[in-house]
Amino acid sequence: MLRRRARIAQGIALAITSVVALAGCGAPGSGSDTGGGTTTATDGGSATSGSIQWWSWTPDNDLAEREIAAFNQQYPDIKVTYKKVPNADYTAVLRPALASDSGPDVFTMAAAGTVGPFDVFSSYAADLTPKVSELLGADWKSKVYGAGVTSFSKDDQLKAMPWAKVAAGNMWINRGLFDKYDVKVPTNLAEWRQACDTFRSNGLGCFKEGIGASGFDVDTFHSIVNSIEPGLYQQAATDKIKWTDPRLVQAWSTFAQLQSDKILDAGGVGVQQYPDVNNAFLSGKVPMVQMGSWYSQYATVNSLTAALQGAGVPADTPKVTIAPVAFPDVAGKGNPSTLFADPDAAQAVNAKSKSLNAATTFALWLGGTTQGQQTVANNVDSLPTLAGVAPAWSDIALVDQQVQEPLLKDLYAKAADATEPRSNNLPAARFQAISDANQAVLGGSKTPEEAAADVQSAFDANPVGS
Amino acid sequence: MTRAATGGSALAAGAGLPPSGVTVGGAEVGLSAETPAPPRPAGPWYRQMAGLPWILPALVVSVGVLYYCIGYTGFISTLKWDGASPQADRVGAGNYVRMVNDPIFWRALQHTAVFFLVTFAVQVLLGMTFAVILHSQVRLRVLYKVLVFVPVVIAPATTAPVFRQVYAPDGQLNAVLGFLGLPDTNAWLANGTTAMLVVMTVQIWQSTGINFVLYYAAMSQIDTEILEAARLDGASNLRVVGSIIWPGVRGTTLAIAILTAIGSLKTFDIPFLITTGGPSYSTEFLGTQIYRVSVALSQVGYGAALSIVLLVLALLMAVALNLAGKERGASRA
Repeated sequence: MLRRRARIAQGIALAITSVVALAGCGAPGSGSDTGGGTTTATDGGSATSGSIQWWSWTPDNDLAEREIAAFNQQYPDIKVTYKKVPNADYTAVLRPALASDSGPDVFTMAAAGTVGPFDVFSSYAADLTPKVSELLGADWKSKVYGAGVTSFSKDDQLKAMPWAKVAAGNMWINRGLFDKYDVKVPTNLAEWRQACDTFRSNGLGCFKEGIGASGFDVDTFHSIVNSIEPGLYQQAATDKIKWTDPRLVQAWSTFAQLQSDKILDAGGVGVQQYPDVNNAFLSGKVPMVQMGSWYSQYATVNSLTAALQGAGVPADTPKVTIAPVAFPDVAGKGNPSTLFADPDAAQAVNAKSKSLNAATTFALWLGGTTQGQQTVANNVDSLPTLAGVAPAWSDIALVDQQVQEPLLKDLYAKAADATEPRSNNLPAARFQAISDANQAVLGGSKTPEEAAADVQSAFDANPVGS
Repeated sequence: MTRAATGGSALAAGAGLPPSGVTVGGAEVGLSAETPAPPRPAGPWYRQMAGLPWILPALVVSVGVLYYCIGYTGFISTLKWDGASPQADRVGAGNYVRMVNDPIFWRALQHTAVFFLVTFAVQVLLGMTFAVILHSQVRLRVLYKVLVFVPVVIAPATTAPVFRQVYAPDGQLNAVLGFLGLPDTNAWLANGTTAMLVVMTVQIWQSTGINFVLYYAAMSQIDTEILEAARLDGASNLRVVGSIIWPGVRGTTLAIAILTAIGSLKTFDIPFLITTGGPSYSTEFLGTQIYRVSVALSQVGYGAALSIVLLVLALLMAVALNLAGKERGASRA
């Protein structure tokens, strides 16, 4: 009897094992097919009802909730659940999610870079071209930010609806600290040095930046190069000139000089832009940082309050009045500070989504409708990509409306006119090479000449399209 | 903690346990070259395989989950692939050739070696010291044990921001130095050498507790009569530690060496969270490099090749340390 029971148990164990083995060992695609790619859902469900998941690294939760709330005023039967994934983890999290059959219905892609890059994830995205034509008409391309359409299209298919544009090249100051210590906003290297002397003598930092870890320093380097000669950076970025060009080597020398002149706070290569620099600036410890257009959100009462709460700053702490200013003419050649802009992000619809139609409705509403883009614009986080949409400044509560509103309007106008790419045309390996060079020069491990040669080597080793 | 896990072989060699292959109470203990092989069970083959169904589920899970993944990683390491695209280019050993020519890979290996040597030496020293002290009659022993062990259970993600603040230019360490009249504007994390020291100190702070526990348990196994005899012979504290306790916990030290070596090869969280591998890759380890190339740069094939090398190095390290330990044990027996 016992032996019989044992045999039955053995049989059950074998059966379970076989099932597990067969279930778990599904053969991967043959050859070099690694299992990615798309299988479009056959039905896609209703376009006006359902439940969808939206994954992104941007915007912050409070801004996303505002966008979803506005969407639900028009589409109350589509429930959108937003999952914000930190920048550093987004690519790693999205990769297996999209490979599975239960990934997000809508996911955000970046035009380039390391966070959700289009060239990595576009194969999972459904073609939105027919739907956007339906929504905006046959001439839809003329109504949407052109660089965004180009960046998020592949094989004549729009793989993600442009949703946000980003600009950089400006700086942000704490207006209150400049007023308190009667410091003039610097317009050249000498004035910048003078301003920093004043701030440091009062126990503050000056220009704080995280060098190397997350690439924000590349914007500073870009601004320095533009100060030496406008357009030079793009010539190097597009292989028209070598990075060893003396003018570019001079840019690295100037960057190092910002540190030796004590304009740049000490230890930049050991600092992270988020959270270190961001927290120091928003809590009033340093008067200057270089951030881009996305930083406008901290001019608003709501976003600044949320950010300070997130950083653990007491609620009754006075809110800083941040103001965008031009990058100083560090080369002393009289070249004006310029902004450089990229298509920042776009909303893609997972081709495997079981709610593909509802997901498409949401993605196109965010980027292709006046209502959606107005909500995005009013969040003052991203620049809108639909023609004719601008923030309704009178509806947006700023920390100091009188001071900040004209400055933000000016920033948005310049960003709208910006034609120079930021880093959209730099593959990740090339972008990292520039950031590595900045870190090496400012960390003192390489001379500007050596760093320039390293960047050129990296560009040679990683040709565009490789 | 069992004797075997905490240094049985060391005690056998250094603290009076019977050597392998000797008879105790009529039964043979341990294995030697002369040990006869156990007789094969009689009966048909299916009877001999009777245990297989019982271990098959575990076998399938371990083979399916672990070894399948290793094999698949090995396959990916022959591809040029971003980890998501449906198509990948076969590059054969191209990723491994690239690795050999990648200076950051060699730097990561150097960092691993230095990190292992320093953290192992300091952790052994501290772990032994705490264990010896807390084996003596010290007041508030339990409190000290808790204090030494607490860092082990705190997640690096929790402690990393604290250490970043402590070592920041305007952090607490510089404040203390300033209070003492020393230079107080050091950017500890901005200098490659000091950044590596910071990473090592955090690792030591975090792991010393577990070494202390291992040594503390191993010392509990040492025959107190030997210690008492040594005292009667007039041995000093240092002599007792050097001649009796240290050889008595040799197996534990070997285990710690293996764990630290493998842990060093796998080091990721502390440098990633505190220095992100910088500045200029001066705190880059294989783990951080694998993450950086696989995730940030989407070079999943190259990351897989690095992972395979990491696996091979970890295995080689464990085998080498085990062999070294056995040879040394044999020469002492």
